[in-house]
This record gives sequence, structure tokens and C-alpha cells, in this order.
Amino acid sequence: MWLAEAVFGYVLMVGAALLVASWFGGDEVSWLPGWLTANLGWLPVALGAVLAPFVVLEPFRRYAVHRWELRDDVVFARSGWINREWVFVPVSRIQTVDKKQGWLERLLGLGTLEIKTASYAGSSSIKGLEYAVAARLAEELAHRAHELRDDAT
Amino acid sequence: MSDPVAQPRDTGEGVPRPPHDPVPPVAPPPEAGAWPAGGADGPRPVSAGSSPQAPGASAVPPDAASDGEVPPNGPPWPYPGSGGTPHAEEPGTPYGSQPPSFGFPVHRLSPLVLLLDPVRMLPSMFIPLVGVFFFGGFSPVSYGVAAVIFAFSVAYSAVRWATFTYQVVGDRLELTRSLVSRSVRTIPLERVRGVDVSASLPHRLLGLAVLRVDTGASGGEQEGELDGLTLAEARRVRTLLLRQSPARTAASGGESDVITRAPVRWLLFGPLSGAYLLTPFALLASAAGLVSQLRGEYAVDPRSAWRFLGWMGDRPWLVAVAAVLILIAMPLFGTIMYAIFNWGFTLRVQGSSLVAERGLFTRRTVTLERRRIRGFELVDSVLERRAGVARLWAIVAGLGDSTTRGQLLPVAPRAAAGEVAGRVVGPFTTPLTRHPPAARRRRLFRATAPWALVAAAGVALASIPVAVTGLVLALAGIPLGLDRYRWLGHAFDGRRFSVREGSLTRRQAVVERRAVVGWTVRESWFQRRAGLVTVIAGVGAGSGGYPAKDIGTAEGAEFARTVTPAWITPFLAEPHPGRNT
Repeated sequence: MWLAEAVFGYVLMVGAALLVASWFGGDEVSWLPGWLTANLGWLPVALGAVLAPFVVLEPFRRYAVHRWELRDDVVFARSGWINREWVFVPVSRIQTVDKKQGWLERLLGLGTLEIKTASYAGSSSIKGLEYAVAARLAEELAHRAHELRDDAT
Repeated sequence: MSDPVAQPRDTGEGVPRPPHDPVPPVAPPPEAGAWPAGGADGPRPVSAGSSPQAPGASAVPPDAASDGEVPPNGPPWPYPGSGGTPHAEEPGTPYGSQPPSFGFPVHRLSPLVLLLDPVRMLPSMFIPLVGVFFFGGFSPVSYGVAAVIFAFSVAYSAVRWATFTYQVVGDRLELTRSLVSRSVRTIPLERVRGVDVSASLPHRLLGLAVLRVDTGASGGEQEGELDGLTLAEARRVRTLLLRQSPARTAASGGESDVITRAPVRWLLFGPLSGAYLLTPFALLASAAGLVSQLRGEYAVDPRSAWRFLGWMGDRPWLVAVAAVLILIAMPLFGTIMYAIFNWGFTLRVQGSSLVAERGLFTRRTVTLERRRIRGFELVDSVLERRAGVARLWAIVAGLGDSTTRGQLLPVAPRAAAGEVAGRVVGPFTTPLTRHPPAARRRRLFRATAPWALVAAAGVALASIPVAVTGLVLALAGIPLGLDRYRWLGHAFDGRRFSVREGSLTRRQAVVERRAVVGWTVRESWFQRRAGLVTVIAGVGAGSGGYPAKDIGTAEGAEFARTVTPAWITPFLAEPHPGRNT
């Protein structure tokens, strides 16, 4: 309950914007000329133009959509951008809780929380949490899961 | 690491071995070069007289030695793991780390496996042997080479046999394999979820069986396999393994209550499932594979193959005859194969377990713990639906390879399947709720749109065949889409929920509520516009998730809420998560 509504969504995709932007900026040069050579030189430009709004839109959209919540021993996570996904995982059925930090996430002080259950359909990952929050949440979940533990299948 | 042995091979192998050495601490470390003695474990306190294999155990290593390939003293034996030297050079160091196994006999597989293994290796040796005779002609040399190959394989299986032991230590089963590198696989008995005994035809001739221990681990790697136990031993080990697992009553025999014994006429339904109809093609394909392998040997060049095809093309009636033959062969072979696999299918309740047995040559026994059964799945194809038959699977928590093992019935009349499902899991009679009409539009769209696109592309490219194919398939998609919609449904009767989907292969899953480990709700962009979602119930059993496809947004939330009120209700109190707050 210490979390409930208060810790609602975080610095999510600000980092992702950087990532996506740098990705497309760098990549179009590197992989397109590989097989579609010089005469298609305008393609990166076109692609860039088409993708630009997405590059701008996606992070904000994601930031708006991505949510997570721990309430009454059920973890809820919402993610997605074009397709959306809600995941409800009762803490009693959690098998493992991992926290991860990619290099970019480390740079921005963020972390990813992965919650696994016996089924793929009940497993979720929450990206872009502040690292301290992710760590605390992971610990909390692990403790609660341990307390409530049943067979988890 | 400071092992003074000269051969690097030995140092490499010597290091990891001793900590896992199965030799009981009471026995002194074997002497240098005494590997065969390690194999002849007669003198060990353990399997001395009690085990029926003891005589064989002492009999075989001399065999291996008599092949002249195990020099009594030398490490040059090609399997470093079997060389005894490292033992001697690290006298007694880590033996103490091995937990004592007093009173827990070390066992080996039945020595009869030695008869089996070379036979089983024959196919893999066939090509080299053919090669030998092809290149060497039927000269003494090639006979010699062949003999060496054969002796080698016999020695190999002998060594493998001698270096593989299993024992039950306290509450765990340990499988020790020390052929090249040493590995000990430990399976805690409480993790044993099922024991599966099967026997192929050669096994049955020799009175042997393969025992598989199902631990519910995800990878097949983690599961134990004892290939080549005598039947009595397999039964004993099964009892032993299940003794401490909750399925113990199953092993004790006890009352055994036959639920179903499939009548022979059910076997006629087999080919309807479709897969078995393809068996002639599988046979043809393996024949083709063999031919292509032999082609390398006999150097059939592609040109003569083309000539052959041309020759075939000149005689269309031959092709027609072949096609007709295959057409006739399909159901025939299908039925035969199906009958071989499913002959005498019996499903019994033994204590707290279900035991399914089937097979004509290879008799397969699968033991399922009843308390792990979470539901059932009824599957039928179009043809089967016409014939009023269906296939039934149990949804079992932690059962690997559940499609073959979870089978509760062969293809059987729906009524019988329903009855068995009712007895095993519990009846489910609540009618399914249909999904909203928007789902029908979506099904139709999905069944036709891709092909319509293909047709459009065909028109655009002025390619008539493409356009016509696309059009025909798009038209065929209309009834398909309607049918798909027709079977979509979900229901909840207070204890179990059910979801159904599919058309060509329709599957209905009935899962107990307690099995749900989480919910996933998915909404694609198209679905969002249609006001639909796909609600997937995560289940730690069976395929992992059972979706209610294209359920209405509110309806889906309600479905999840009725199944697991405590989880979902708090989140529905605020605006539905579907709304972007």
C-alpha cells in the first residue's frame, strides 16, 4: 500500500526518444547502402521523414500509456504504443522478480523490473522505472511473494 | 590443477571428476589404471547381492577389456574420463565431500542394454559401413575395418553402460554419467511430477523399459532418463521415486479404476485428425533423404535425375498411378500408424494419479498426478467435427511435452470425451457466451483482407494467376471467418472458465480458476477501433495462456473480474484501464 497510486508512471521514454532517434540517425546510413546502393540515396531521407513523427510521437505516447501499480497484492502494468497490453499479476503467483539495467538505462538512472510467473501470459516487465524505485519494488515484491507463497502454478 | 599427469587430456578431465565421484567414501580410491575394477562394482558394499545386475556388472568390463581396447594400465584409452589415473594421483582428496550413501545402493542399467545399443547404432553406422565396402570392396581389409567399427561401438556402449549409475540418496535421485566428463544430475524426489515408462519393440523383446522422470523443468535437459531397465526394476524405481512425491499412491498400485479402454473401432477415427494422413509423405520424405544420402555414395548426377523426371513426364499415366496410390495410401497408412501408436489406449485412476497407457509395439505409460491437472482441452478439426469426434488433453501444471503426454483420449466420440473430461477434471456444462458482432467483422476482415490484398496486387501487376488465387482465397475466407466467429466464446461456471476459438482446428479449453496466475489483456490498434480486446488467462500449465479472443472491452474486464474478483476489482473501481486516463 505504500505505493498505491503515488508512484504512478515515471521518467519513461525520455530515454527511449534518445535511443530511437540516435538509432535511426545512425542506422539508415549503415545498413541501407549495404544492398540498395547509391541510386537509392534518397531513401534514408524519405524514411527519416516518414519516421520522424513516430520518433517524436512514440516516446510521449508510451510515456502517457505506460503505467504500473501495486495494489492489494496485485501488480498491474500497462504498456504498448500502437498495440496495448495490460498485465495483472497477483503477487502470490510471482515466481521470480528481476531487476535489470541496460547501459542507456544506467546512464539515465533507470531500471527495468521483470516479473515472471509460471506462464508467459502472466509475466511482464516494467521498463523505465527510476532505479531506486525498481530496486525497492523488486524487494517488496519478493518479500510479499515469499509471504504469500503457494505453489504459484 | 597441479596434476602431474603428462597428457593434458587427463589433467583436464581429472579436475572436475573427483568431487562428483559416485564411489562411496567407504571404498578406497581405485588404483591407477584400475578403471575396469571401477566398473566391476561387485565388491562395493552397495549393489553387492541385492541387485539383479550384479553378476552382469562384473561380467562386462572384462568383455570390454577383451576387445583389446582397454589396456590395463594405460591412459591412452580414448575416453579420458574412463581412465583411472587421475584418481590415483589425487589420493583421496575430495572424496569426503561426497555425501555418504549408506544403504542407498548404486545401480546400473540392465546389462541387456549392451545387446540393444549396438543394434540401435546400426543405422548411424550404416553409411560409414557402406562407405567402407564401397571404397574398399569386399576385401579382408574392409571386413577388418567393419569389425573394428563394430567392436568400437560395442566397446563404446559397454563403457557408457559401465560409467552410468543411478541411485536414490535420501530424498533425491542421482544420475551419474562419467564417460567423457563427469556429470551428476540430481533430481529431488519431491520435484518428481510423473514417471513415464515406455518400451520400444526391441526393448520389449528383451524385457526392458525406458523410464523417464518428469520434473516439470522447462528444458528437456533437466529431466532424467533411464534407458534400459528391466521391467521389474523400472517398476521398483517408479515406486521408489513416487514414494516421496505426492503421487505415491499411484505407485503402490492400490485400487486401480479403469476410466476408459478405447475400443478398437475408435482407431478408425484416427486419420481424421489430418496429421496422420501425411505419414505417407513422411515415409516418402525419409526415403528421399536416404536416396539423397546414397547419391553422394553412388554419385548420381543431377542430369540423370532430370532425365528421370523427363522420362516420368513422358508417361503421365505413371504419375497419375503414383498419385492415386498415394491417395489410397494416405488414409490406409494413416490408420495403420495411428493404430500402432494408440493401440489399446487405457486410462486408469490409480490412487491420486492418472495412468494412460497406449501403443502396439512401443507401450507408453504416462502417469499424471491428479492434483496437478488444471483443466482439459478439447480439440477437433473440421472433419472430426463432422464425424462428431474430438481429442482430449489434460492441462497439467509442469508437464513438459504436454501435447503427447497430456493426452487423455485418442480421437473419440465427443460424448465419451466429455464424460472422461467430466470424471477427470469435472463437468463443464455452462454454455459459452458469444463475442460481440464486432468480433465477427474482425474475423471476416482477417480471413479475407490479406488475400484481397494479394488479389489487388495481382490486378495491379496484371498477373492473372496471382489475382485469381487471391480472389479465390479471399472468397474462401468468408465462410472461414464466419465459422471462426461462430466458435468464439467464453464462459465461467464458478469453478472453471472456458474459452474457445478456431475453425479449421477448433480448441476449447476448460481451466480451473485456481490455475490462473495472471491476466494479460491485449488490444491492437484495430481492436481498439472495434472496441474489442483479447483477454489471455495466464495458466502455469498447458500452453501457458488461454485467450478469449476479440471479447468486448467491458465484457472482457467483466470476464476476468468474475473469474478472479479479488485481483481485478480494485482496478475496475477507477476508470477502466482501457481508457487512457
